[in-house]
Amino acid sequence: MRLQSTLRRAWPVAGGLACFVAVTALLFGHSTPSMAGFFWVLIKGAFGDGYAISETLVKATPTLWCALAVAVPAQLGLISIGAEGQMYAGAIAGGAIAVFVPHLPAWAMIPTILVGGVAGGASWGAAAGWLKARFGMTEVVVTMLQNFIAIDILEYLIHGPWMAANSGNWPQSTEFPAAAVLPPIISGFRTHVGLFGAIGAAAILWFVARRTRWGLAVRVLTGNPRVAAQAGLSRSAYIVGIMALGGALAGLGGICEASAIQNRLESGFLQGYGLSGFLVSALAGHDFLLIVPLSVVMGAILTSADTLQLTAGLPASSSMILQGVLFASVVGWTSFVKSRR
Amino acid sequence: MTLGTTAADMLLSALRSSTPMAFAICSEIMAERAGIVNIGIEGQMLVGAAAGFAFTVISGNPWVGLLAGAVAGAALSSLHGILCLVCRANQTVAGIAVMAIGVGCSSYFGTPYVGRRISGFSPMSFPSLPAGLAGYLGSISPTMILGVVTPLVMCGFLYMTRWGLRWRAVGESPAAARVLGINPTLYKWAAILVCGLLVGIGGAALSVDYAKGWSDGMTSGRGLVALGLVALTRWNPLLTTPVAMIFGAAESLSLSIQSHGIGVSPYLLSLFPYLTPLVVLALHARFAKRRSQMPASLANMQTFGE
Repeated sequence: MRLQSTLRRAWPVAGGLACFVAVTALLFGHSTPSMAGFFWVLIKGAFGDGYAISETLVKATPTLWCALAVAVPAQLGLISIGAEGQMYAGAIAGGAIAVFVPHLPAWAMIPTILVGGVAGGASWGAAAGWLKARFGMTEVVVTMLQNFIAIDILEYLIHGPWMAANSGNWPQSTEFPAAAVLPPIISGFRTHVGLFGAIGAAAILWFVARRTRWGLAVRVLTGNPRVAAQAGLSRSAYIVGIMALGGALAGLGGICEASAIQNRLESGFLQGYGLSGFLVSALAGHDFLLIVPLSVVMGAILTSADTLQLTAGLPASSSMILQGVLFASVVGWTSFVKSRR
Repeated sequence: MTLGTTAADMLLSALRSSTPMAFAICSEIMAERAGIVNIGIEGQMLVGAAAGFAFTVISGNPWVGLLAGAVAGAALSSLHGILCLVCRANQTVAGIAVMAIGVGCSSYFGTPYVGRRISGFSPMSFPSLPAGLAGYLGSISPTMILGVVTPLVMCGFLYMTRWGLRWRAVGESPAAARVLGINPTLYKWAAILVCGLLVGIGGAALSVDYAKGWSDGMTSGRGLVALGLVALTRWNPLLTTPVAMIFGAAESLSLSIQSHGIGVSPYLLSLFPYLTPLVVLALHARFAKRRSQMPASLANMQTFGE
C-alpha cells in the first residue's frame, strides 16, 4: 500500500523530468554538435563505465545523507536548509577524533569517529530545534545562518590551529590515520560503505515512520495538534528531537565523506551537497524510499557536470544551473498538474 | 583623530556595508507584505550583481549597471512568480529552485568578468563646504542615498496610498481582499516584480559601488540573512535602515579589526556578520512584547505541507 503511494508520487516527477530535458536542451544544446549528443554525454558521463558509475554513487552518498536530514524534520512540517552546516559540524567533530587521537585501536576508530559525527551534527540540529521550540524562531532562518557559522568555523580550524604541519600552508588538516578511513565497497573504486549506511538509514527511517509509536506521534503532531496535546505529546520536545535526528544524519554524511573521500578536513569539501540534498528531498515529497533513487539521479547530474566541464567546456556552475532547472521544472510541473485536477 | 571623527567614520563605513542589505531587506518586506515569501532573493541579488557589473564594464556607466541589475533581478523573480502564481508551487521550495538557478547563472555568465575592475560612481565634490565636512559628504555614494531613500518611499507607498493599503490587505488575507474587489494575483505579481527590481539594485550596488568588482557568490549570504532580518523590521520598511545597519556594523567592524592587524583569525571575524543577526533575532524572539506583525497569510505557508 505504501509502495503504491511512493509510485503515485513518482509519475509526476517523470513529467517534470521531461520539462527538464526540454529546458536543458534549449540552454546547453549548443555546446555539443547535437542536442541528442548533449544528453548522451550526460548519460555516458554518469553511467558510461565502472568508474563513472562509481563516481555517481560517490556523489549520491552525501546527497542521500543530506536529503534524509531534510526529510526527517519535514515529517513534522519543519523546513531545514541547514544540512550542509550540520554535515560540516559532524565532519569537524568526527575529524577532531581522527586528527587528535590517531592511536586509538583500529577496531574502535571508525565507530568513534562516527559517534563524533553524530554528536556534532545532532548538536548543530538540536540548537536550531531549541531556538525554534523555545523562542519561536523560524527554523529556515536559523539553519541557514548556522550554515555560514559552521563553514567559517571549519575555515578557521584548517587555516589555524588544525592546519597540517606538512601542508605547506595549504588549508587542510592532518591526514586521518588508515584505521579512520571507511573502506571502499569494491577496492579500486571510490564508492564507500557510507552508501550502504545511508540506504540502511533510509530503510530504517521508513520503517520507524510507518510502524512505530514515534512515527505515529509525529503524524499526530503534524496532523492534529489538539489531539496531540491531549495525548500529552510535547511538541517542543519533538521539534528538538527531530532536528537533532536530522542533524545526526547529516553529521554522519559529513564524517563519511571526510573519512572515505578526502581522508582529511579540507576547505569547502562538502560545498553544494546541502542544496542538492534539499532538492532531492523536496522532489521526493520527503518520502524516505523515493529519496534513494533520486539521490542517485542527483549524483549522476553532479558527475556528468564534471564530464561536461572536460568535454563540452562548460563551466562548473552548469551543475548548479542543471540542478535548479531540474528542480524548478519538476516542482512547477507537479504543482501545475495538482492545481488543475 | 578625535572621537567624533572616528564615530563618523565608523557610521559611514557601516552605512556603506549595509546598503546592499537594505535593498535586500526592503525588497523582501515588499514581497512578504503581499503574501509572497521570496527565499530566492539571494539568487536574484547575485544575478543583479553580475548583470550590474557586466553592464557597467560594457557601457562604462554605473547607472546603466544599476538598471541592468534591477532588470535581471526582476527577470529571475518573475520565474518565482510563474512557479508560485501560475503553477501554484510551494513558495519556499520554488524559492530555493530560483536561488539555485540564480547562483548558477550569475557564475556562468559572470566568469568573463572575474578580476575586471571598474571605477564606479565618480565621487561627489563640494567645493564650497569646509574640507572635513566635504570629505564626509564626498564619500557618500549615490547607492547609499538610494538605499536610505527607497525604504522611505516604499513605506510611504504602503501606508499612505490606496494601492499600498490593498497591497497589505492582499498579504493579510487574499480571500478578504478578493471580496472587496481587489485582484490578489495582480498585487502578488506587482510584489514579485518590485521585490526583484529592488534586490537586483541591491546586488548591483554591491558589485558596482561597494566592491567595484565581481566574484562568484559575492553576496555571501546577504540575501539569506535579509530573510531573517525582515522579522526585526516588523515588516515595516521604515525600520529597514536601522536593521540593515546591524549587519553593516558587524561587517565593517570585522573588516576594520582585520585591517588593523589585530591577531584574530579573519575566519573567526567573518563569523561576526552571521552570528550577530542570529543573536539579535534570538533576543528579539525572546523579548519582543508586541505581536510579531507578520502578514497573516504568511503564517500558513511556513511549513512544507500544503
